[in-house]
Amino acid sequence: MYGFEALTFNIHGGYLEAIVRGHRASLLTASDYNNLCQCETLDDIKMHLSATEYGPYLQNEPSPLHTTTIVEKCTLKLVDEYKSMLCQATEPLSTFLEYITYGHMIDNVVLIVTGTLHERDVQELLEKCHPLGMFDSIATLAVAQNMRELYRLVLVDTPLALYFSECISSEDLDDMNIEIMRNTLYKAYLEDFYRFCQKLGGATAEIMSDLLSFEADRRVVNITINSIGTELTRDDRRKLYSNFGLLYPYGHEELAICEDIDQVRAAMEKYPPYQSIFSKLSYGESQMLDKAFYDEEVKRLCLTFEQQFHYAVFFAYMRLREQEIRNLMWISECVAQNQKSRVHDSVVFIF
Amino acid sequence: MAEGAGGAAANGGSDEKVLDFLDSVDSYLTTMESLAPILRQGWFDLASARHSMGVFRVSSASLDLKDHSASTYLQMVGHESDDSFVGQPSFSLCKWASADNKSCCSEEEIPDSQLRHRGTSRLSENQEQNSNGDDSLKTVDDLVKKERAKTLSVFGTLVSPKLRTAQLSFETALEVLVEAANIRSSMLSAYSQVQKQMEDTREGEIGPIP
Repeated sequence: MYGFEALTFNIHGGYLEAIVRGHRASLLTASDYNNLCQCETLDDIKMHLSATEYGPYLQNEPSPLHTTTIVEKCTLKLVDEYKSMLCQATEPLSTFLEYITYGHMIDNVVLIVTGTLHERDVQELLEKCHPLGMFDSIATLAVAQNMRELYRLVLVDTPLALYFSECISSEDLDDMNIEIMRNTLYKAYLEDFYRFCQKLGGATAEIMSDLLSFEADRRVVNITINSIGTELTRDDRRKLYSNFGLLYPYGHEELAICEDIDQVRAAMEKYPPYQSIFSKLSYGESQMLDKAFYDEEVKRLCLTFEQQFHYAVFFAYMRLREQEIRNLMWISECVAQNQKSRVHDSVVFIF
Repeated sequence: MAEGAGGAAANGGSDEKVLDFLDSVDSYLTTMESLAPILRQGWFDLASARHSMGVFRVSSASLDLKDHSASTYLQMVGHESDDSFVGQPSFSLCKWASADNKSCCSEEEIPDSQLRHRGTSRLSENQEQNSNGDDSLKTVDDLVKKERAKTLSVFGTLVSPKLRTAQLSFETALEVLVEAANIRSSMLSAYSQVQKQMEDTREGEIGPIP
């Protein structure tokens, strides 16, 4: 019952909540980002990061560094932290933590299937997969010819099995079907995660429903903008939208028929939380939309730490680390391409 | 008098050839200078796309290794003999050739009108055909859009607009490169003409060897 978590939460979740709050304190600050933005080379970035918790992961990397190396090693740190929390978690926190990785699992499945379609080596594809989304039989995905086989041979024994019922068909896997499969799986995952959080109740349900609704709404906007000018029909586009969120259902009806960014803007500005996001953009422009959404997401994630005795802090921490890794990737690319004047186009300060 | 008039005409002719050569050098340098910022913008847009879509989604692992025909061809006209250029080689880009229909969706010969040239510019036949009729333009546009989307589909069907912008930047860079190749070809041709002119003038001054 909401309000009584203070009595019982710490029995099973107190230790890990303290751990995750400790990890949160090690996120890079604005002064760290200012130093990084002034670096001239990737080796300078490595030198600055050696004073942070990323130091041990980068210290043995030989020069010349590559931006993908920095991203890989920083991601390894996140994976290590996640695994150490997962192995010490009890139910239902352990299930909650596993839910956080299902999105990466979906991306990995799509990567393997697409790569196999393009006759890539399976070993090479496995190296490119996100480590948080790995599962035992992932390499067997290369054998499947259609979605039915994909499900029957591999995914039936994974947590993604539940989400497959909406997209099982005997159609051959091609680029469009794979994209629809990706988005359908992600839609089903988000809805399932939402229902799970509602079942947990209390502060977790309240805070996670806000965060997941925002995620669902952002997906709706991205699907709409990315599908403008493509062969995806309005009906198919509508089917990819999640059935919850602030935009559901009336916003979805309007966005499904949008043909350009200005129509998307007109539909979104009816909702006050998104009006502030679109007010930062000029008409006809969508380049800065990603940054505006990331800014808003980071604000909401930081607010979760203001309250205690709920699981949303774990979700928020994982997302904030992923944002930090995105920031490091962006800064590295700007430094490598000698475009330091553009570095603030996409860096989102966390604290 | 006749000799003086003939000499003046010859000087005027050689001056024109030198001016042609200098014009072509200037155009070539200008074109090459314009290439670097376009490529920079393309790489930056690609980094933006990776930031937006995720580094695991936009990576070399997504590229297609199956046998497939190129979507863009470079055609060369004109050849070199042992002694000199029989014809000045020129290059044209055949962009977005469809696998079903081997003809190009958008064939361009980079016009010489880009040069500060004393001659008249000329347009390719395909460009003249495309400018006639809105329907044919629309069809070409649709085909080009389709081919562009097909090339990007290795990263997924629903890609970020930033990836499409990167594609356009690299497409523009390719056009500039072909333009630079044509200008270089004109420059080398103008240079060989100036050299020939100078040798002829020297022989004329020395006179035939007894």
